Amino acid sequence: MTSRSLVVLLVLALLSNGCAPLTPPPGRGTHLRYTHGEGAMAAWAGSTDEPTLLESEGPQRLNRLQGAREAVGPGGAEAPEWQSTLAAHLALLRAVDEVSASTRSVSRELSRLRASQQGIAGAGNGLFVRYVEYGERQLLWMDAELAAAARLATAASQVEEPGMQLALLHLAGPRLEAAMMGSLLLAVWCDFLRLTDDVLSRRFYSVERLFMDMDRFQKMLEPAMKALASLEPAQVEATADDVPALVGHLTGEFEALRETVRRGAENLQKALVLKESVEALTLVSALKFTLPALRAAAPATLGTGFMVGSGGVMMGTRMVVSAEWVEMMRRLVRAGVLSLPAVSAAVRIQAGQVMMAHGELPRGVREALGEGPEVRAMRVTGRTGAGMARRPRHHVMPEEFREWFEQRGFTGEMDIDQFCVRLEQAHHQAIHGGGNWKLGRTWPGEWNRMIMEALSKAESRTGRMLTPSEVLGTVAKRMQDYGIPMKFIPWRGR
Amino acid sequence: MSDGRAWQGNVKARLYERVRERGYDSLTAFAEARPAVPLHLLAEELGKDDVAGVQVLSGLLAEAERRKQVTRFVRDVFARLWSQSVPEGWPAVLDDANRFKVAEALGSWFAYTPETHKERVDQASDALFITPPPSGWRPLGPDDELLLTLLPDEEA
Repeated sequence: MTSRSLVVLLVLALLSNGCAPLTPPPGRGTHLRYTHGEGAMAAWAGSTDEPTLLESEGPQRLNRLQGAREAVGPGGAEAPEWQSTLAAHLALLRAVDEVSASTRSVSRELSRLRASQQGIAGAGNGLFVRYVEYGERQLLWMDAELAAAARLATAASQVEEPGMQLALLHLAGPRLEAAMMGSLLLAVWCDFLRLTDDVLSRRFYSVERLFMDMDRFQKMLEPAMKALASLEPAQVEATADDVPALVGHLTGEFEALRETVRRGAENLQKALVLKESVEALTLVSALKFTLPALRAAAPATLGTGFMVGSGGVMMGTRMVVSAEWVEMMRRLVRAGVLSLPAVSAAVRIQAGQVMMAHGELPRGVREALGEGPEVRAMRVTGRTGAGMARRPRHHVMPEEFREWFEQRGFTGEMDIDQFCVRLEQAHHQAIHGGGNWKLGRTWPGEWNRMIMEALSKAESRTGRMLTPSEVLGTVAKRMQDYGIPMKFIPWRGR
Repeated sequence: MSDGRAWQGNVKARLYERVRERGYDSLTAFAEARPAVPLHLLAEELGKDDVAGVQVLSGLLAEAERRKQVTRFVRDVFARLWSQSVPEGWPAVLDDANRFKVAEALGSWFAYTPETHKERVDQASDALFITPPPSGWRPLGPDDELLLTLLPDEEA
């Protein structure tokens, strides 16, 4: 068989096999799609088409979509505070669900690979198991962050003050964001493992070379994974920007490896076996959209027809992400829970290599995802603007009473270290008893002493230990009186 | 208020300037016209970005100290905290959740009370539980009858 006819065969094989979603979790039929393209592929293959949109139709469609959204209300700019907080709360829970579904499917796949006697588990005296373990370790932190995000969302629902609710959602945001980006990378890693498994089980390729290759790929992945796992906002944000390019790069590596394997197999007259295995791998990650063989199937539309349609974000006739997903993300971006760069990166990865190469999403898509002057302003004042970044952090719940708070449930993601605020020097001194603001002589008004008095008195009169949401409710009310912004950042040492 | 402007410049001068602009000659007069309104809302009315609730509180205390009306000030603060934590008034059923609401108001009341009056506030709080007020009780200011019996002026 010539290599040309082999390619045709492979394209056919991929179109027929490669487009089936990877074992969709039971009962997820009604769920929204997360990344990894579950369900988006039907439209891609052209079998059950979303209505094809002409590019010129894009803006009008978008306007109609937005008009409809504003009429519906929640999440819109005019929605009352509690309502948009509720919408963000629901969107957060959904997003956590979506990412969890994706990590669960990767987890199943890793378990399978770990036990693959023919491939990873058996070959090279179990040398390759370490790569599965690397994936499992990543899974561990992602699941931990997702669980923490879910618990923070629950805590938010138990607090009455809308300001504190939103502040708790903001604490959950970075955890969800890191897990979301991490799960995208992990899915790519999982694809590499599956390729490895297949190659090993059919002895297509030198075990030593494959081991070295995998080592190299892991090293490419590692810095981004580490940065995400650190939860350090600046690092996570920088990584989010880089992830599409990284995935693009790994796509190239994946394709190169596959090509080498294919050539080796041809020499060994294993081409027909190959067709059914390596080339027909059902990929978990976004790689399936980006590999050259697949791109060839829709050559003209890629990169040009990227737009927001009624069904979601479309690229040509392929749906990149669904309208529900866009709406969910829009709410989270508008509420300041997720950052636009991270959400954009997820879309860019989902869109495939063409978009990874080019930096930014088209404006229409960015706007559908929540970009706007308020969100930009939020980022500016939240980061560098108004000297915020230089202001020192302070515990809202006094450190000297750490144990008291721990006994009342402030541990883990609810640790008092998570509830720090940036205050300007004068403000900080003032609430700790300095400055000229105390006109009355007989009330010291020092924050730490005041808040502990308020909490311990409330507790003794309630007749039991206070719950975290009760503590936070009281703290929120008193923060309001002291003009302390309800915007928490974690403690990172002095 | 997140930019901390409330804590820059001359707090006292700013407070009184705003009070005069609104046609009052004292913070007390401004506050009395807004009985049982939470402190942060009083502050917001005087300056959304540059006045804090505790500054109003401290200013009201200073005036009360001069007028020897601190007890009345303490009652006034009670009404403001009460409407924030127990907006429906004294609960019909003092279950666990409702007990916390009352306790939150009393805890913050204690914390916002000057040293000189903390003990009396504690006793008044005890009395409130021993002889509960009628359900729905919500003092609308420092002259509320029941509140006055709980915390009468020293002279009386």
